[in-house]
Amino acid sequence: MSMTFGKGISRRAILGAAGAGLAGLTLPSHVFAQQGGRRILVITSNQDIPNFDPHIATGYSASFLLRNIYDSLVRVAGNPPKPVPALAASWTSTADGREFVFKLDPAAKFHNGKTVTAEDVVYSFNRAIRLNKGNAWMIQGVVGPQSVSAVDAGTVKFVLLKPFAAFLQVLPWIWIVSKADVEANLGTDDGQNWLRTNIAASGPFKVRRAEAGNLYEIERVENAWQNGGGNLTGVIWRITRETANQRMALQRGEAHIAVDLTSEDMDALKDRPGIVRVLEPEYRTFSIKMNTMKGPLADLEMRKAISYAINYQGILDAAGYADLMIGPLPHGILGHNPQLPVYRTDLAKAKEHLAKSKTPNGGIKLTMAHVSGLEQQRRWALILLDSLKQINIELEIKPMIWPDMVAACRSPETFPDFFPVYQTANYGDPDNIAFAAYHSSRNGNWQNAVYKNPDVDALIEQGRTEMDEAKRVAIYRQMQEKVVADAPDIFGVLEKRRLGMSDKVKGFQFVPVASNAIECFGLSI
Amino acid sequence: MLRFILRRLVLLIPVLFGLTALVFAIARLLPGDPVALAAGPNATPAEIAAYGREFGLDRPLLVQYGHYLAGLMRGDFGVSIYTRRPVSEDLAAYLPATLELVFTAMLIAILIGIPAGLAAAVWRGRWPDYVSRVVALGSISMPRFFLGLLLQLLFAMWLGWLPLGGRYPIIEDPPTLVTGFLTIDALIARDLTAYFVALQHLAMPAIAMSLSPLATIMRMMRASTLEVMQQDYVLTERALGLPQRLIVLKYVARNAISSTLTVIGLYFGWLLGGTVLVETVFDWPGLGLYATKAVITQDFMPVIGVTLLIGTLFVLANFVIDLLYGVINPKVRYE
Repeated sequence: MSMTFGKGISRRAILGAAGAGLAGLTLPSHVFAQQGGRRILVITSNQDIPNFDPHIATGYSASFLLRNIYDSLVRVAGNPPKPVPALAASWTSTADGREFVFKLDPAAKFHNGKTVTAEDVVYSFNRAIRLNKGNAWMIQGVVGPQSVSAVDAGTVKFVLLKPFAAFLQVLPWIWIVSKADVEANLGTDDGQNWLRTNIAASGPFKVRRAEAGNLYEIERVENAWQNGGGNLTGVIWRITRETANQRMALQRGEAHIAVDLTSEDMDALKDRPGIVRVLEPEYRTFSIKMNTMKGPLADLEMRKAISYAINYQGILDAAGYADLMIGPLPHGILGHNPQLPVYRTDLAKAKEHLAKSKTPNGGIKLTMAHVSGLEQQRRWALILLDSLKQINIELEIKPMIWPDMVAACRSPETFPDFFPVYQTANYGDPDNIAFAAYHSSRNGNWQNAVYKNPDVDALIEQGRTEMDEAKRVAIYRQMQEKVVADAPDIFGVLEKRRLGMSDKVKGFQFVPVASNAIECFGLSI
Repeated sequence: MLRFILRRLVLLIPVLFGLTALVFAIARLLPGDPVALAAGPNATPAEIAAYGREFGLDRPLLVQYGHYLAGLMRGDFGVSIYTRRPVSEDLAAYLPATLELVFTAMLIAILIGIPAGLAAAVWRGRWPDYVSRVVALGSISMPRFFLGLLLQLLFAMWLGWLPLGGRYPIIEDPPTLVTGFLTIDALIARDLTAYFVALQHLAMPAIAMSLSPLATIMRMMRASTLEVMQQDYVLTERALGLPQRLIVLKYVARNAISSTLTVIGLYFGWLLGGTVLVETVFDWPGLGLYATKAVITQDFMPVIGVTLLIGTLFVLANFVIDLLYGVINPKVRYE
């Protein structure tokens, strides 16, 4: 049986039509070009920005938006990071660290044209404390409802509930809203619903477009009160899920900065024309927590045996661009001791400590949980498995989804023997990681589910309230020694921040805190 | 027919009711602590409990379910515990992108799959049959995300003909949203440039999505065409000397297409729930990734909302297919 279809259509005609179709599909060159004098910086990231409320939203994507749209009393700049003036042109503090007085910049004004006053600052801090969400934890127990007062329209006074050495370091993350705008849209939820999608800010940019799951575009505020800055007229935060796509977008000129690149992507970008690789140490630690309260790892000798058995070079190699941690605090942060004696691979010592443990010949089986789908954690789990074999210990690796892992932290009974954790410093002070990861008040929480040492607690509390920098350094050094002696963690690596950047981007300065939440005011293209 | 439509619509209610009950129960009974996760790493147990109370999670399950159903009647799908965004807003933002992708993929699959299947049957054992077999085997075997990556490498990176991903060039403003389908909205705005640009963005993800249904439709169409061609009435038509083209297109294809329609209906639902990989590779801001993220973080309300929405669309798609049986073959009666 045979049939003839398309009689009369020649092969040439078909080829011609196909060619015309392809030509039609070819991308016009203007698609990626900057248009009409607009200078739009494109940042590609895999994280969405679901909420604009400055006292609720967290995460680096939200921080990107907030730090470009809102102002805080001070900004963070430099490496190591230091507080620099923002809304506050200057400030003074008492020697005991209890009182701070900020003089607001008289030029500061909100997008609605009204001057930023001390009343707005008082209102913003009180709202943050009242809601107790987002970044409020940074000032929890330090700033109370009566702590902030307006001395006059341009002066704000803080009387802290207790001294807090890192106070200036946390201020960049408490944003100031326009009281008038929020009060006008208060609703029944303290303005939460309104601020989720609206802005009451004074920063150099404002939101132009917001497409959930796709992109967020901010544009320069006309007649912004901030002086100077770069030549950007706007910035697009583009959601790109795959890191390989972020890299390719950078290579094709579709993006100027990619913030979630892997080590493999960074390798692929090496020596690419027009691309600059930013590889800088950041205050982000990776360690494997051990269950110090229950099971075989409650035995200090066993923890030490394991700490010596680990293949640290393997952990470093698997991490790519990283440095091995020296103790519990990140390198370069105030008080970190680069000479601190820490555990390094030494099988003889591992066996020596194992012999002193309750199971001197090993022969036990331990469990390590890791976040399902996180390849890097799986690799580290395999290195741990291999290392433990050397001292006759078996390891069961259990991939779990993150909510299940968080639930497992509730008690020592449910906490696995090994639990991998990334800790990112939200502010550039040792208190951040020390308190979150080693203070026993955090027990039951994923950052420090089980570790408890009253001496370490006391040192961390001392470090929080001591205002003398030299004394703080001594306190944190002592704290590091005690933590290392307890061996509650396998101190892993400090991954370097990996940013891919077009060489067209000018004015970028690396700050080791929230470096992926790019501050765009000073940038040019 | 009206009675049939009404009866099917009424039957939709218990189906969706059952679906909500099932998904609601599963979402709540799963282990894990999404509330602690959403409350943040610095929340105390009291704050976590307060956070749960804020979302009504301290109430008995049945009361929570009752509230959810009452909300549904008002079009309220609840609120995400992570983002605090209303789920209905998210669904409205993500659904059009996914539907545009799935409809286009199905269109490609149908427009190529049905004629190719028909041709393979008509020229059985000859080159069109062999080619279609190879294409079908390749399409079924190749994972969608892998094909997506290959397409990206070829058309975006090497040839530079098509964009890497997304729905529209990000530094340009898209056409005013009316339907949420950018191609249709561009036509409504009478902006042909925007239409072609949107089409360029749609091309690769839609092709990657279409291959699997295309292969199935092609093989189904081939098999059913061969079956119909053995029927006595086809033999009679041939004996009467009717032209071959008339026999195949008018009598054989019409009957053969019925069983293929069933597959099309099923595939529509399957594609709706299975867009995540293509959406990830092509940065398509659709429902798949939103749903996956919600499942991984056990964000109850988005999980239930997406399941309900996809369930409804699936049932409706199959309902439309049932109606199409009658349009294609008037002998089909609705009872």
